[in-house]
Amino acid sequence: MQRRLGQGLWLSFISTPLVFIITFLIFWAFSPGHRFVDPRNLAAIAKLTPDLGVVALGIGVLMICGEFDLSIASVLPLCSFLFAQLLIAGVDPFAALALMVPVGASLGLLNGVLVTRTGLPSFIITLSMLLFWRGVLYVVSGLMPISILPYVPTNSDFAHFLTGQVGSVPAQLLWFLGIAVVLGIVLHLGRFGNWIYATGSNPDAARAMGIDTHLVKIVCYMIVGALCAFAGIMQATRLGSFTASQGIGFELKAVAAVVVGGVSLRGGVGNMLGIALGVFIIQIIDNGLILLQVPVFGVNTFIGLAVILFVIINNLANRQFAEQTT
Amino acid sequence: MEGSAQVPANDEEELFDTGSLPCVSERAAAEEAAPTNGQVLLKMVNIHKWFGRVHALRGVNFTVHRGEVVGLCGDNGAGKSTLIKVASGYHTADEGQIFFEGREVKLRSPKDARALGIETVYQEQALCPHLSIARNIFMGREPTTLLGLIDQRTMNKESMEALASMGLRLRSPHALVSALSGGQRQGVAIARAIHFKAKLVILDEPTIALSVKEVREVLDFVRHLRDQGVAVVFITHTLHHVFSVADRIVVLAHGCNLVDVRTKDTDVDELSDIIARGTLGDAVPTTQHAR
Repeated sequence: MQRRLGQGLWLSFISTPLVFIITFLIFWAFSPGHRFVDPRNLAAIAKLTPDLGVVALGIGVLMICGEFDLSIASVLPLCSFLFAQLLIAGVDPFAALALMVPVGASLGLLNGVLVTRTGLPSFIITLSMLLFWRGVLYVVSGLMPISILPYVPTNSDFAHFLTGQVGSVPAQLLWFLGIAVVLGIVLHLGRFGNWIYATGSNPDAARAMGIDTHLVKIVCYMIVGALCAFAGIMQATRLGSFTASQGIGFELKAVAAVVVGGVSLRGGVGNMLGIALGVFIIQIIDNGLILLQVPVFGVNTFIGLAVILFVIINNLANRQFAEQTT
Repeated sequence: MEGSAQVPANDEEELFDTGSLPCVSERAAAEEAAPTNGQVLLKMVNIHKWFGRVHALRGVNFTVHRGEVVGLCGDNGAGKSTLIKVASGYHTADEGQIFFEGREVKLRSPKDARALGIETVYQEQALCPHLSIARNIFMGREPTTLLGLIDQRTMNKESMEALASMGLRLRSPHALVSALSGGQRQGVAIARAIHFKAKLVILDEPTIALSVKEVREVLDFVRHLRDQGVAVVFITHTLHHVFSVADRIVVLAHGCNLVDVRTKDTDVDELSDIIARGTLGDAVPTTQHAR
């Protein structure tokens, strides 16, 4: 940004992009026949990443304001299930999407109200909601997949809208980038964004300055819920079906992605560029290791190591930033 | 212990339970409440506050004049923390009147107090460590551009001006508060208060846990505030700190006024003796009223 800040600010903003580029280059260089950069592989990454990515963008914002949401892994398939039910009931897919996003937001609202009213750790509240909604989903869906292809065929307008291509760029990637830009503007340039950081950094100070920290948290939960609905529907459209296994593991993968992207578990720290790249870093490692013929079941071992390594790098960069600006 | 169990957790100092004894030194209170010239800024008359059975403030009178630095002292449990929480709208008084700039006011929330121009700087909860200086100073009151986005340029410029007016030179408005020293943090919190045109700044134990050098910085900030015509209430345990800047010192004991004296009419030893004993005895019949 400004030269007088020295390298500190530069470093804290650039550490995640740097990790991203290095990860990318490593897999480019070492995947057999450079298969990693094969356009088909890159297109697959671009289509798959936004499923988790869209939700993780919301989780990043929520974690900056100091809270967790583990219930995403159940809210997402629940919204996907309800979407399928709406289609079966004859609702137009666009209308169903427009209905489901507010429904997702209200599930987030419920989380937010429970967390702020009870004062219990959000980890506990949302863990309970994770189990609660998963149970509900399994009972009402009977664990059976529901094909939505009769209602949204792959060549329908709705399928193009969510999962088509613009030129050679998958629509999912554009949605992901679009949402990231909007949330980035809210977070970094808007007043509400400053309240999110203040709430996560020191809620007492924020309250003393007249910020309604409960409202800030509730709105962040609603953003996460709305994005869960969107991601669940986007994924179902890509798969052509609701499946009860949608979203499994997202609750922790999203945290891993966001933390790799430089967000602190204690709140108050992080930026949107880092969050967006964090998701891609996790996905690239996943994809790249398989191309390197690491056994599928061993991939998580490396992701675990990578998360620790990247968090150490981020911490060093943030400390540099703090020291250089005084 | 039953009585003290009802006390809210943040009022750790009000643990005595003396029933409803009237204040002993009605005299000092009467002197203070006497009519003064038009320069009175804040006037609190006969303030009572109960926490359950605990009568924390038993008819305290407290006056601050425009541009005056008042030291508020007293032992733990004397009621000074409760008194300033009433003045900053954090607690409401159960009885008594508050006048600000000559008009009676009701302070139901910190917002009410802030709207009048009373800003309170608490030791620990003042700032967000992960946010920049500029974003801290404008927290909750961010200026926006026509597009509804934060006006970062205005924030940066005015933050640096506010800090400079305190004699505090920091390299950049982008610096994170976590990187500042304790004294600099107090400076940022105070700069925030004066930037929003505070007429009265209440500093709650501003020098606690600071190094000698940082204490000197904070005392300089207080002088800067006074030079700009801002009144300051300076709460402290450390008489030496407040003595070098205060015009007047008010001592509370057991929820009552004990002493109200001009700094130049007394000295540290005399006052610390009174605070330690919690009563006047025969020590200061001559110096207990100011103005």
